[in-house]
Amino acid sequence: MPEGKLCNKQTVDTEEQLQALLNDKSGKQYYEEMNHLDVDAKALWATIQKTLKSRLRTWLEICAHCGMCSDSCFFYMANKKDPTQVPSYKIQSTLGELVRRKGHVDNAFMQMVMDTAWSKCTCCNRCGMYCPFGIDMGVMFSYLRGLCFTQGFVPWELKIGSGMHRIYRAQMNVTTEDWVDTCEWMAEEYEEDWPGLTIPVDKQDADIIYTVNAREPKHYPEDLAEAAILFHLAGENWTVPSEGWEETSLAMFAGDWAACKMQVESVYDAMERLNPKRMVVTECGHAYRATVVEGPYWTGRKDGQTPIPSFHYVEWVAEALRTGKIKIDPAKKIKEPVTYQDSCNYIRNAGLKDVAREIMGYIAEDFREMKPNKEHNFCCGGGGGLNGIGRYREQRNIGLKVKRDQILATGANLVIAPCHNCWDAIRDLEEEFEIGIRWSFLKPLLIHMAIVPDHLKPEE
Amino acid sequence: MYAFVTGPLAWLSFTVFIVGIIARIIWYFRGLSWQLDRVAYKEHMAYGIKGAIRSIVFWLIPFGTHSWRFYPFFTICVFTFHIGLLFTPLFIFGHNVLLQERWGFSLWAMPEGMADFMTVAVIIAVLFIILRRNALPEVRILTTPYDYLVLAIAVAPFVTGLLAHHQIGNYNFWLIAHILAGEIFLVAIPLTKLSHFIGFFLSRAQLGMDYGIKRGGMKSKGLAW
Amino acid sequence: MFEKILFATTGTPTCDHAAHVAFDLKKKYHSELTLFHSMGMPSRGFSQFVKDSRTGEEEYLDNDYADWVKEELKTYYAKQLAEAEGVLFETTAGESHREILRAARKTDADLIVMGAHSRDEEAGATRYRNVVGSTMQRVAKGAKCPVLIVSRPCTTCLWYFSNIIFGTDFSKASYSAFLFAYQLAKAIGAKLHLFHALDMSSIHAGKAVSQDEIEREIAEARERIEKTYVAKMEDYDNYEVEVWEGVPYVEILKFARERNGDLIVMAHHTREVDPEEAVLGSTVEQVVLRAACPVASVNRPDKVS
Ligand code: HEM
Ligand code: SF4
Ligand code: SF4
Repeated sequence: MPEGKLCNKQTVDTEEQLQALLNDKSGKQYYEEMNHLDVDAKALWATIQKTLKSRLRTWLEICAHCGMCSDSCFFYMANKKDPTQVPSYKIQSTLGELVRRKGHVDNAFMQMVMDTAWSKCTCCNRCGMYCPFGIDMGVMFSYLRGLCFTQGFVPWELKIGSGMHRIYRAQMNVTTEDWVDTCEWMAEEYEEDWPGLTIPVDKQDADIIYTVNAREPKHYPEDLAEAAILFHLAGENWTVPSEGWEETSLAMFAGDWAACKMQVESVYDAMERLNPKRMVVTECGHAYRATVVEGPYWTGRKDGQTPIPSFHYVEWVAEALRTGKIKIDPAKKIKEPVTYQDSCNYIRNAGLKDVAREIMGYIAEDFREMKPNKEHNFCCGGGGGLNGIGRYREQRNIGLKVKRDQILATGANLVIAPCHNCWDAIRDLEEEFEIGIRWSFLKPLLIHMAIVPDHLKPEE
Repeated sequence: MYAFVTGPLAWLSFTVFIVGIIARIIWYFRGLSWQLDRVAYKEHMAYGIKGAIRSIVFWLIPFGTHSWRFYPFFTICVFTFHIGLLFTPLFIFGHNVLLQERWGFSLWAMPEGMADFMTVAVIIAVLFIILRRNALPEVRILTTPYDYLVLAIAVAPFVTGLLAHHQIGNYNFWLIAHILAGEIFLVAIPLTKLSHFIGFFLSRAQLGMDYGIKRGGMKSKGLAW
Repeated sequence: MFEKILFATTGTPTCDHAAHVAFDLKKKYHSELTLFHSMGMPSRGFSQFVKDSRTGEEEYLDNDYADWVKEELKTYYAKQLAEAEGVLFETTAGESHREILRAARKTDADLIVMGAHSRDEEAGATRYRNVVGSTMQRVAKGAKCPVLIVSRPCTTCLWYFSNIIFGTDFSKASYSAFLFAYQLAKAIGAKLHLFHALDMSSIHAGKAVSQDEIEREIAEARERIEKTYVAKMEDYDNYEVEVWEGVPYVEILKFARERNGDLIVMAHHTREVDPEEAVLGSTVEQVVLRAACPVASVNRPDKVS
């Protein structure tokens, strides 16, 4: 059974494997090898039989073929109502067909499945809200990605991504030393402006354990400094773990469930090791989804809860503003029209819509809702890993049109996007279409607006 | 012939219907897995039930959800069709006469004019549903012959009933055709995608629990369906 | 004070004048010189693509690409490299200012030399994080060591500089700038001009100020310079104290011009201008863009005391 050197059914568990993949420019060889990758129909069918239980089977079976899910999908809208983008069609022609054929499919079929699962669905779960039977294509595509992964049909970047998690317990090659050093560095760089600012690593029994997205230490550590400043302003007793600091999960996007488990276990271990009261994660949607919403199940926690209560950054911000831990200078509230990008992962799929509105009430004078909004908001266009997959860049860019038009319709100049993926997608959207908007996480805006108590000001 | 279709065949079809539905329910529940579905059903039953009820109730109300409101024309068709489908057979005068004769009880019986109206409404709704299936590319692409077959099975008792009742053509023929069509319908419910008769409730309940327990139900007032 | 120099370059003509100074310094002081280039910004979310900072093309970040970039740099600076030994090369992907600061920290540099990576040129960079402020401004703000920004031809070698202008606003950071200016002046025997401009734009906004009051404030400022700085200079007497009034960056530019300044040394005042609000940027940035001579920004005591 031919298996490629790079493209195969194995997981990436060593640095050598990872480096080999990384050195394959744009995944050229990888995708070439994929053309010769065998489908292990027996194993595939065995997996399906073990895991495709009543919920998914019923969904596949009772679909009324009514098409009520069609307009719910931003891909369908962005592709000028192309019928092949109807969620039901997409899943029936892939997972549905796979089941009908009892796993006896060929390489070309699997590649089609892969292309569909990653470039025609971001697993935003919006369609599930519009189907009368509650058929959630997002859930099914996520399941399908898992099947693809076991057969080695997975976009190159995500094979790498899941390997990163397996090796570094982070989506990027940031080691424990890098991370701890970055914490020190940021505290040093900002302590002049914020006397007493620290980023405590591995402090026992803190009130808050703060966790991040690896891109922060890797590419914009300011974000970490900003988080520290806000905790400092709010007078929180907080810490970051030296290990288990990464909440994101490219493994989830890849469908590598074993790696998902390893990743969140590292975070739960940190919770248990340091015994903090609660966990707060940075402004990232899928990180919260992975570690707080899905993670407990991957690790077999029967109550579906993380070891300690866990919160998304927006929850902490809302609380800090509500309780006055952070006070906003009324003169500095955002005056220009501003809108809020509701992220699928923590709004639709985690119920934090009101928290987001509460924050906007404190900080914005002219807040404009997108339409639709809250749990009905459309995906930013880059979810489910799509932002990072070169092979599907074109599809991704087409998908961005829906968000572009939503933003334009609000008339807002500024888009607040407390989610890394949304933030990226909106940046790329501006690059692609140049509609003249700015976008931001909450942290820099809050620091700018917050009243700094005298005792925290630097002395001159 | 009449005796056969109303006797053993009727018993058989009712049995298949009831056993089938029960089997579906049992199979569905047994196939739920907290870990595979990633929903802690048992641990947070109260949240789950709340979510399930919300998820079902909103969808049973015409225009009760964003989706129903988004497709007003289709929503009217579906509700007309379904209300007719469920209520006409239960409350039609003729069926209740039968009930009284055989089991000695009967339900409220609707006036004749209303029965006719409901029946015609169902048929018209089906015609529109078929038209829509052909007119809209996004529905056409999903449609298979199986969909038409199922629709035909569903509407056949109404067409035949209407013909028989108004004695258009051969009454006896249409009567037996009506009874057979009804029995086919009953049998088809558990065996075809008409199983959404029960599947609707199961599936909606499951997704409702999913949202009620895992996806935000514990941190918000609940999803705005 | 020039043991380890980090030369942050874009590898384009913008940095030619800075390169000249950096290699010159290396030669004279036998410094360890690291040539640093931030290849580009990661694009495409978490993936390995970068937008090349010179060409604007999307490139795939791997060892080959990094090697290629290094080769390009070596070719670009072939002439200078031929006369310099042991120059180190560093390249990474990321936001320029962040990566320059990271490299400075890693190499423990005691001087960063850079060109005036201008705003126009890095429109993309600004866009990347949607943050205002140029690379130069952000490096100046964050660096622990002095940052020497060279944007114009600098014909005199640094060690022949004869007039060093130190502009102060009496902030804590200014004291670090003073230490650098003083040490340098002493080391090369240049005249140190200690200069302060009364900020007429903000202090007296809206109020008519009498000539007397201005005189009084000028006298006070002079006294302050004497007390804070001159007192620390021990026996060095090749200096001058001067206080003018006006908009600080305009005054310091005028002053430097009048005194034939070879170098302006000042602190990057982090809080004086909010980068979000300052359309034109900080004082340092204004001075850099307009001054005829190099500008050294010193913000922290770490590498000067
Ligand atoms: C109570 C919630 C129910 C909902 C929301 C629902 C919804 C739907 C929808 C959306 C269709 C698709 C129409 C089309 O495009 O063909 C449909 C079809 C149909 N439903 Fe229901 N249904 C429900 C219950 C039932 C029940 C209890 C029955 C009873 C037997 C039933 C029988 C049918 C039949 C016969 C069809 C047409 C065949 C088909 O296209 O599948 N439905 N239903
Ligand atoms: S809305 Fe639901 S039932 Fe209708 S076609 Fe889509 S998935 Fe099938
Ligand atoms: S989950 Fe989102 S992207 Fe995927 S099919 Fe449904 S609506 Fe479309």
